Formats: sequence, C-alpha cells, structure tokens
Amino acid sequence: MRQAAIRRLRAWAARRHGRDSLPIKINRRRIYILPTRFGLMLAFVLVAMLMAGLNYNSNLGLAFAFLMVSVALVTMHHCNRNMLGLQVDVTTEVDAFAGREASFEFVLRNESNVERRDVEIRCLTASGIRSVAAKSSESIPVAVPVPQRGVARIEQFELRTRYPFGWFHAWTYVQGSLTAYVAPSPQGDRTLPSVGGVGTASRSEARGDEDFAGLRAYEPGVPLKHMAWKVLARGGEAAVQSYTSLASQPDWLEWSSLEGQETEMRLSQLCLWVLESDAAQRVYGLRIPGKEIPPGRGAAHRFACLRALALYGFAEPR
Amino acid sequence: MTPVSYPQLLGIFACLALALVAHLETLPVWVLAAVAVSGGIRLLLARHGRPAPPRGVRLSVAALAILLLFLQLHTFNGLSAGTSLLVLMAGLKLLETNTQRDIYVITLIIYFVSLAALLEGRSFWLLAYLIGVCWLTTATLLRLTTTLPVPDWRRCLRYSGRMLSQAVPLALVFWLLFPRFAAPLWHLPDDRHSAASGLSDSMSPGDIDQLALSDEVAFRVHFAAATPPPNERYWRGPVLSQFDGRKWSRSYSSSLGSPALQPQGPAYRYTVSLEPHEHNWIFSLDWPSHWDLPGGFLTGDYTLVQPSPVSRPLDVEATSYTRVKTLAPLSDSIRHRDTQLAPRRNPRSLEFAHTLRSEHPDDMDYVRAVLSLFTEQPFYYTLTPPKLPPDAVDAFLFDTRRGFCEHYASAFAVLMRAAGIPSHVVTGYQGGTFNRFADYWIVRQSDAHAWDEVWIDGRGWMRIDPTAAIAPSRVEQGLNDSLSADEPLVSRWQRSSPWLADARLRLDALRQLWRERILFFDQDAQQKLLEWLHIPEPDGQKLVLVLTAALSLVLCWLTWQVRREIDPVRKELLIRAYARLCAKLASLGMPRQAHEGAEDYAARVARRRPDLGPSVTALCRHYSNLRYAAAPARITVNQFDAAVRAFRPKARPARQSSTPPDSPAS
Repeated sequence: MRQAAIRRLRAWAARRHGRDSLPIKINRRRIYILPTRFGLMLAFVLVAMLMAGLNYNSNLGLAFAFLMVSVALVTMHHCNRNMLGLQVDVTTEVDAFAGREASFEFVLRNESNVERRDVEIRCLTASGIRSVAAKSSESIPVAVPVPQRGVARIEQFELRTRYPFGWFHAWTYVQGSLTAYVAPSPQGDRTLPSVGGVGTASRSEARGDEDFAGLRAYEPGVPLKHMAWKVLARGGEAAVQSYTSLASQPDWLEWSSLEGQETEMRLSQLCLWVLESDAAQRVYGLRIPGKEIPPGRGAAHRFACLRALALYGFAEPR
Repeated sequence: MTPVSYPQLLGIFACLALALVAHLETLPVWVLAAVAVSGGIRLLLARHGRPAPPRGVRLSVAALAILLLFLQLHTFNGLSAGTSLLVLMAGLKLLETNTQRDIYVITLIIYFVSLAALLEGRSFWLLAYLIGVCWLTTATLLRLTTTLPVPDWRRCLRYSGRMLSQAVPLALVFWLLFPRFAAPLWHLPDDRHSAASGLSDSMSPGDIDQLALSDEVAFRVHFAAATPPPNERYWRGPVLSQFDGRKWSRSYSSSLGSPALQPQGPAYRYTVSLEPHEHNWIFSLDWPSHWDLPGGFLTGDYTLVQPSPVSRPLDVEATSYTRVKTLAPLSDSIRHRDTQLAPRRNPRSLEFAHTLRSEHPDDMDYVRAVLSLFTEQPFYYTLTPPKLPPDAVDAFLFDTRRGFCEHYASAFAVLMRAAGIPSHVVTGYQGGTFNRFADYWIVRQSDAHAWDEVWIDGRGWMRIDPTAAIAPSRVEQGLNDSLSADEPLVSRWQRSSPWLADARLRLDALRQLWRERILFFDQDAQQKLLEWLHIPEPDGQKLVLVLTAALSLVLCWLTWQVRREIDPVRKELLIRAYARLCAKLASLGMPRQAHEGAEDYAARVARRRPDLGPSVTALCRHYSNLRYAAAPARITVNQFDAAVRAFRPKARPARQSSTPPDSPAS
C-alpha cells in the first residue's frame, strides 16, 4: 500500500511540475516535507510533554515543552532550506553495460553561503549522499543497475534530505529524463582483429580526424566542421579538409567476422573489442548491420561505438 | 541501521546524566544507581568493541528493576513513579543500545525527563539548566544523525544553539497565548511530598525553636491598601486544642459549632503567596472573613483551610479584620474541649492555678495575674531552652523558667484551663520583613510563633500573647532582634552589612516577580494581556484567534529568517551602504550615472556642490578602497556604513550663488 501511495505521489508530482530541463534549480514549490518515523516519535513525546505541562498547570514545564515544539518547527524550516535553491545537473554520457550499473554523475551546485549537508540523490533503487560546502559544487555518482542491453531511461529522480536531526524528510522529484545507452556486457574469447598489425606506421588514406592532410573535393555527408570554408570564401570550389589518423591502419571491428554466433554473443564480443581497442589507443571502426562507424578513437568515438552496439535491433531514439 | 560507537554512547550517556542531575532529590537513589551501573556496563562493553549483552539478560534485568520499583512505590501512576519508571527505562535502554535508533529513543527520553523535572520545579535556574541540557542533547543528536565527515562539537553546538534561539520567539508566543486549563484534564496523584519545613499540626517543646533558625520563606504578603500595625500582624495557622501534658495537637472535631464573629475596625485586603507546606491550612491574617479560594472554608477554630494540602505555590486573596467581637455564647462542646487537661500531669501547675484562681475570681483579673507572673518572675526568653521532662509545664514554670514562645503559650493555656477558662494554643507566624523594593512582606520560618486565645464570658475570644509579656520588643520588631548569640548566621551578617540585606531583599523581589509573572501566569493574566492589546471583551475564542495571528506572523518571520541566509543575491553590506550614499545624492538631483565610477561621481558632485565635496570625496574614496584596494582599508565596512548613515546632505548649499553649473558627464 505504501509503495502504491508513493507511486501515486510520484505520478502526481510529475503531472504537477511537468518535464524539467536540466540543470534545474530547486524552488520552494517543489519541495515536500513530512516527519520521519523518528519525527513522529518526537511528535508523540512533544504531545505528551504538552499534556503533562497543561495537566500539572506548570508554566515552566509548558515553557520547556513549547520551546521543544518550536525547535521542531524551526527544524522543519531548516530541513526544507537544506535543499532550497540547489542546482542539479546530471551527466548522461556515461558508459553502461548490461548486467552492471550505469553510473550517472549528478552535480549539485550550491550558490548560497550555507553548507548543504547530507543531500541524497535517489534514482530507482540506487542512491548517493553528499554534503555541498557553501559556494561550491559537488558531484555525486549514482550507480543505477541496468540489467538489459538497449536504452535505459529514467524519467524521474529524487533529491532528499533528513538534515538536521533526522526528524523531517524533505524531498523533491525532478522529471529530467536520464538516458543511458546500455551496451552489451563486454565478453568473448576472440582476439582483437588487427588488420594493419601493430606498429606499421604507414600513413593511411583512411579519413581520420586528427591530422590535416590536405583538401579534397566536397562530397555530401561530410561533417560541416571539416568544410574548408576559407577556400569557399575565396571563391574556390567547395572543398573538404582531409585528415588522417596518426596511428596505423584502422582496425575494423566487423559484425561479419563473427559468423555463426548468436546475436547477443556477437554484440558482446564487439563491445569487448571496442573497449580493448580503446584501451590500446588504436584507431578502429565498427561495422554492424545497418550501421557503420568510421574509424577513429577517443572517448567520443568509443561512446558512439558503444551506443551503436546498445541500439542494435532497437529503433534510434527520437 | 548503523551500529553505535563508543564516543556516541559516551555523549548520549553524559546528556542523560546531566538531565538526571535535576532529579537527584526526587528519585529513589537506587534508580539513579541502576542507570549509572547499566550505562557504565554498556560503556565498558563498547570500549572493548563488544555489543550489548544478550536479550535474555536485558529482559530479566528490566523485569527485576520494574518489579523493585513497584514494590517500593506500589503504583506507576503519578509524577515521581512515572519519572522513576521512565528513567529506569532510559537506563536499561542504554544497556541495550546497539543501533542509532536506540540512541534516538534515548534522546526523546532525555527531553521528557527534563520536562518532568520542571513540572514540579519552580526556579529560573532549573529552567535555564534544563534548556542547556536540551541544547547539548540536540547537538549530540546532530552529530549522530549527520553522515561523515561529522562536524566538530563547536559547530554542532553553534548550529543547534542557533536553532534554539530561532525557536524562542515562537515558544514565547505559544507560552503567552496558548489557552490554559482552569482545572487539570485528569487528576494524577500528587505523590511528590517534599520534606516540608514549617509548622505541623502538633507542638511539643522545642518544635518552634527549630524553625526559628530557618531562613526559609513561609509566605509573602502584599497588602492591597492599608497595612495593619505590627502588633496586629498575627498570621493564623492551625489551632491546637488537645493537650496530653506535654504535646499540643490539633482537634479534628471541627464540626463543633463555633460562634460567629463580628468584624470591627478596618478591613485589610491582601494577597498571601504561600510556599508549599504540605498541609491544608492557609495562613491568613487573624481573623479572616472573606477569601478567594475554591473549596476554602473556616474550621471551627477560625483557621482557613482548603480540602487538599498546599503542595505547590498558592496565591490567595483574602480580607481580614484584626479586631472582632464574638456574638453568641460558647457552645458547651467547645467549652468542654478547651478546658480539658491531661489527668495527673503537671500537678504543681494545677495546684498553683487553683491557688491563684482563688485570689482572682474574675476571669480577666486571673489572666492579668498570670501575665504579670511572667513579667515579674525571672522568666527568660531563649532559643536554646533546657530539655524538659515529661511534665514539661511544671518543669518550665517552676524550675527552668527559660523558654521560647511555645513554652509560654503552652504554660499559659494550661494555667487557664486549670482555672476553668476555655483556652487553646494558636500557631502561626507573627511579624515579617517588609521588602521596600517591591511592596510586600516576607514571612520566614523564623517568624513562626505560638500564642493563646482565651474565652472571657461577655467578651468572647481574646488573643493573649504571653511571650509579649517577657520581651515586649519582640512583638514590635520580630524575632531577630530578641535573639542575641543564637541568631542565624545570615541575619547576623545582614546586621553587620546593610547592603547585603538590601541585596537579599532585591533578590527576593526578583523571585516574587518570577513567581507572579511566570509561575502564576494563568487565564486571568492572558485576559489582561488581551486587554492590553486593546481587544474588547477577551475570551477563550479571541485568545485562540490572537494566538493564530501571532503564530502566523512569527512563522513568516522564521521563514524569512531561515531563507535569508541562502539568498544568493543578498548584497554585501558595503554595496548596500554605497547604494544608500548614491540614493542620498540622487535625491539632491545628482544621480550616479551608470558608467560612473565612485571617484568620478564624487568629482562631479564636488563640482556641482562644493560644500558637499570633501565629505562625498572622502566617502567615495573609502568605498573604492574597501572595494578594490588590495591593502587593508583604513576603515571597516561597518564604519563606512555608519558614516554613510550619518551623512545627511542639506538640500541646498549654504551659498546659493556660487553653485557652478553641472558639467555634463562624459
């Protein structure tokens, strides 16, 4: 029943606030606050204290009881404030492999002069807790388990705090879509295919994107950033700056080279190769049915490859 | 849940111990010992990294402790039993504390135990102490509930102290305006009998001279208008009419009808503020005629009583007449009671009384004869009378002849009864010290007194104070003056240094103010508060309305106060002060241009208003130094702010003609 109530509350909050675009600043309208179980115990004791004070007609007892009641109310304000005005952002380009966790990196920015202690970010079942000093920001990694290859989408996450004293629990829901492309779990027993072999340093014709090698004729589909705008501006032909990679011959990680294996096994093997190639700092390309990623290297390239593997068999999002 | 660590246990144990200090006098010693032992055992275990003892041990210890408590108190109902049980539970909880949740429970128990001490406590210091304990407990809780890295003690204390201080206005509103009940919601047995000092319902030789050494306050009296003369300030307490040859005690046959009294002379209206004395009589000026006391009535002996003992401070408004006339004749039953003597006791006194009576057949003559006996014979008045044998009156009258008021009152009543004149002993207080700083009288235990009343046919009850026959000055001045070597140390100090006496009186005035304003704050006081707020016809409903309004206001203030700290656009004082300076100059028609720096602006102002030039230039230079200079400026930001506030430019310069035209800003 509790679970159902929480689900309904989340859905209601989602309807109430609509979609949020990150980064988002937590305003007071979206902070909810309720006493914790400890807070309820305190409330019980406070009521008992008040009853005792009233019954014994003891003004000193009442003064003490009212002071404690007021401290509880002040605490409620402080608990609320502990989250108020925090800015939340999240890095979504994260590596995620099926059966492991997608580690989202949340960033909390605190522009105020007050330290925010013990702010917890909760995403599905995973959570991370941090304190953010005054006028600084802090990143909180939250590792969300992702069992399946494909797109793991988290529509809502929660910020919560119980500071101070743990009497109150303030929280807010953020409807920011977090998307993790969950690559297949990297495994396999084939060795990394190596076309050019390691150490052959001949400059290849393959179009890399690191070293400028000259101009060549424009052809449709070339990235705009590779256009030779200056040549065009001088009235010349549309031309493209041509780059080569420093490394050896590019390694092509081919779907077709894994003939006879099951689809997921093939994807896993390719994923392992991508990681190995990346670790070895090689230039590599990926070819899978319906998708070809030209050779390259670096984090963005690796991310593109992993994403292609994650999305194999699924429709491209958006 | 996280297991608790040794320092956490130590912290919470210290807080509990501090809260229990307030209960040292009221709780059974073994309960405190049990808490100390179980806390000590748990700490020792924690020290060596061991968990709490097994469940079986804990349960049996708990059962044993609760059984013991029940065997001692026979009830769990009532304040001291309830507190004992709670404290015992806290101690046992300490023993089984393994997780943080257990510690949370202990903090709640500490809060409640602190409150329990205040229910019967009255002093300002107790309240202050317990708020301190609660502060410390809350800081400890903050340390417990915060994740790593745990902030240090000073920061925790500062933060929880801030929260306490922010809670004060709210608590004050609650306290002032929360409706009080006239009667308790349910009656709890008042089981906390403090060992009250003061008069009891019997009197043996030596009882009152014990009191004479006590400086404790019995009650305070404020006279609404006139104050009776000193020799009429007799504060009537229990009347003792049964005599066993040595001890006088109270007669409980109060159903005996006593003749009505007719007031004579002026009426005195006063408020008597009683300290608890655990008896049901109310000390009132002799003789009381009206009183504002629920359930209060006069006994057959004209003593004002209430149904329950005075176990907490009590204020009673009353009216008395110091002179009365008895209208009806004395009933036979009272005449019989008040002429009873213990058979075969004090034979010499009886024989003496018979002889004297045969010489003075008239009642009044006889009374005078006995009084002159005390005056003429070498009777001495002393606080340290010799010990008396069972026939105390005989020994006092014929052998020792040294005594205190109770000896004289007792002997006088015996001599009267022996002559067939109805008489009894009245105990109470006589005199008092005037507190000139606050217009009230302090009556202390050392003012305790005993005197007699005799029935004279045709005149009715007459007050006779035989002690006055010995040392008349005492009746005029109070006890302290008639004492010499045996007087209390404090009063001897007071005499040697009057400023000490003044300081004591001032302190007592504060105490009385505390009692009046804080301890006795009630429905009436709340009504007066509403009247003061100009609310017509105040009643409970309006009180709740005012409470709601005041709470909303304070809560708004609190919200603002709490949020203000995190407001990122909150400008620094320096910038605000500079903005104020610019606004002042703008109101003279010289607004700062958006592009103008402080020094340029000052130069422009100086050109246009040379009379303001030096001060504006100085202020602007200070501003740019404070704002931009790397080296420390010559004045602080606060000084700059104060200087800007003090800067009050005149609207027009003194010499109008010399104003040069404003050069356009470039």
